Amino acid sequence: MAVARDQAVFWYGCNMTRHGEVIRTTARLLDAVGLDAAPSGGPANCCGSPKDANARINEGMAKRTIEKFNATGRGTVVTWCPSCHMNMQDSMAPVTPTHFETVHVSAVLHARRDRLRPLLLRPVPARVFLHAHLGFNGRVPVNALVAEVLRLIPGLTLVEHPYRAPGHMCSALSGVPGALADAQRATLAAMAETGADTLCTIFHSCHREGVALERHGVRVMNWIHLLAESAGWEAEDGYKAWRNAADPRAAVGEAQIAAAGEVAFERLVAPELAKPPMV
Amino acid sequence: MTLIEHIRGESARLAALCTACGACVEACPMTRYAAGVEAAGPGVVAAGMRDVLRDGPGTPEALAWIGACTRSGVCTPACPEGLDAAFMLRLAQWRAKGALGEPPRIRVKEDTQYSPKVKAFARLTLTEEEQAKWL
Repeated sequence: MAVARDQAVFWYGCNMTRHGEVIRTTARLLDAVGLDAAPSGGPANCCGSPKDANARINEGMAKRTIEKFNATGRGTVVTWCPSCHMNMQDSMAPVTPTHFETVHVSAVLHARRDRLRPLLLRPVPARVFLHAHLGFNGRVPVNALVAEVLRLIPGLTLVEHPYRAPGHMCSALSGVPGALADAQRATLAAMAETGADTLCTIFHSCHREGVALERHGVRVMNWIHLLAESAGWEAEDGYKAWRNAADPRAAVGEAQIAAAGEVAFERLVAPELAKPPMV
Repeated sequence: MTLIEHIRGESARLAALCTACGACVEACPMTRYAAGVEAAGPGVVAAGMRDVLRDGPGTPEALAWIGACTRSGVCTPACPEGLDAAFMLRLAQWRAKGALGEPPRIRVKEDTQYSPKVKAFARLTLTEEEQAKWL
């Protein structure tokens, strides 16, 4: 007889679409620990924060998302994005009733780490500096949860350093002139101090902003990439390769550009990929 | 309840409890990026933030501080009244951005190409089947 599996929505947010392999691998990890988590995200499943300057529109977007999640009948929404998670608690659920609990993905994988452990068989020899922020950690102790999950990986050494970047993730810092560059310089300094060779990001926007630091001779990976590597799963970081390529267009390739649409690629994607490093 | 009512209600509730002692400002790691905050002093800046929650205009340094908030959250454990100071800043930021229909008083970072950009990247990194199911 088949055993009933726990069901959830994996709410990956909006900007995670840059990192399809992270969405895919996270869903696979959740499945491996016994949670059938259907990925859901993008503009149609938005928390409303892109319209923070208009509460009426913000509310409409958020309400639509909650109603869709309620309609799934799944009792848990597993979040990825700290902004989405906080918005669910601060402004979405207080306005539109929810029929689900909201749990961060780090808490789920940490709570079920006994089922994760047998998957992580391949050593990942790396001295890892965890890119931790001050924010969100007060809601969900994500810095400790991710660190404990990473410690399951054989061969991986997590270095200790007190530096915590301000904000809840790097996209918040990018809106304040000078703040992101300062945080990246401090991160590189902490890595040098500890002899770390790998920067491990927790959130997507930190990864998006951080991949360019590979030009400083360090490796930049998301925690999901590290788990995938240890599990022996394919999770190639296409965004990092494109962002660090001398010719991003060639790195993406004409077939994929055709899939995205030539005009969309040139107007929406290429400028970001060609953005100069912050430091 | 609407979001506007939620923002107004929570603003009034928290502003009534806030003593503007400035502990939240002192704890904040972003004050160095907010013009005039260090010179004005924490209590004055906190009072300006509270004024925004009370439908007031705020002060230039308070608005600079509100605009520099990146949700570090260290203000909340610093509050001697036990208030969720980070949420107060969130409320103040909504209001200063003009979320309730007033003209914005701080810079609003809004990407009009946000949705099409998210979808363009999805077409690059997700299969057609994944896009159909996951977006």
